Amino acid sequence: MKIEIDESRCKGCNLCTVGCPYKIFQAGKKPNRKGVLVPLLDRPERCTNCRLRHLYGRVLCGVCQMTCPDQAIRFRDEKPGETVKVAIEY
Amino acid sequence: MSYDEWLRQDRLPHIYCAGCGNGTIINCTLEAIDGMGWKKDETIFVSGIGCSSRAPGYIVTDSLHTTHGRALPFATGVKMARPGFHVVVFTGDGDLAAIGGNHFIHACRRNIDITVVCMNNQIYGMTGGQGSPTTPMGALSTTTPFGSAEPAFDLCELAIAAGANYVARWTSYHVKELTKAVKVGMETPGLSFIEAMVQCPTNYGRRNKFRQVLDQVEYFRSHSMMRLKYLQHEERGEPVPDATIVVGEFVNRKRPVMGLPK
Repeated sequence: MKIEIDESRCKGCNLCTVGCPYKIFQAGKKPNRKGVLVPLLDRPERCTNCRLRHLYGRVLCGVCQMTCPDQAIRFRDEKPGETVKVAIEY
Repeated sequence: MSYDEWLRQDRLPHIYCAGCGNGTIINCTLEAIDGMGWKKDETIFVSGIGCSSRAPGYIVTDSLHTTHGRALPFATGVKMARPGFHVVVFTGDGDLAAIGGNHFIHACRRNIDITVVCMNNQIYGMTGGQGSPTTPMGALSTTTPFGSAEPAFDLCELAIAAGANYVARWTSYHVKELTKAVKVGMETPGLSFIEAMVQCPTNYGRRNKFRQVLDQVEYFRSHSMMRLKYLQHEERGEPVPDATIVVGEFVNRKRPVMGLPK
């Protein structure tokens, strides 16, 4: 499972940067086509929900998804055959 | 699985300003409804006029966008005509406390089986930042340019006094708690009132030293105090810091309910 930011919905309010306990969301630097500074993902493979949701069978954190006022953040399953980066961090 | 299937995907992105907390409250409410397992055909969203009241337009279920302050009478009508339907009211502070204050009191008194989610942004956001009944003392707005001289309205205490069955207050920072509170409110028969403090960066924050969106959310985080802790402070006679937002479940009781399905 991976985090995705929908650029067509994001308005660049950076509320996700305070919610995440891992500080995965970083304030964006470069405006996109609409002039919005979309946050950047810093090593998103560390996200607890992405790693363990299927193991536990429930939503584990998901605060970024709930906080995002523009419904731009979503969790998506990898397509079959898609490479997955694994976080090793203690 | 999540709130996403309750939203009208073709209507998004919504018209709220960047950083407006209303979207967060919509997420929390829809997540709670998703957990309740209600059918889309049997859920109705009612709203009045204001920023918050645009919310039902982005939700796939049937909805009523009614006159200013009259969301609760319309919701009462829906519930009386079809007691089997689940009625959720989205409303704002100007809608509920100012022009619809009387309806609010009487809806609480009748204890109709509906859920009221009040997005309190402490100002009239849509019309240009006029002071509302919930604008805190000393806060600047276009109609109070030297600071509001009136005490603010405590909607939760009002709802308790008027007789609502479930009353809670959370902020847009406490998303998990808010989701749980809305869910408990929906499970409780009778009027459930959930006040959600939201940030308004465009009209409130800009004039009140919250120039960035994050400033006001951080303010909610640092200035909120759990209700139990507040009661302990009160018991011991310790002073509570000014501008404290008391959060938590205020009341959960079983008064006689109107509008339950037979």
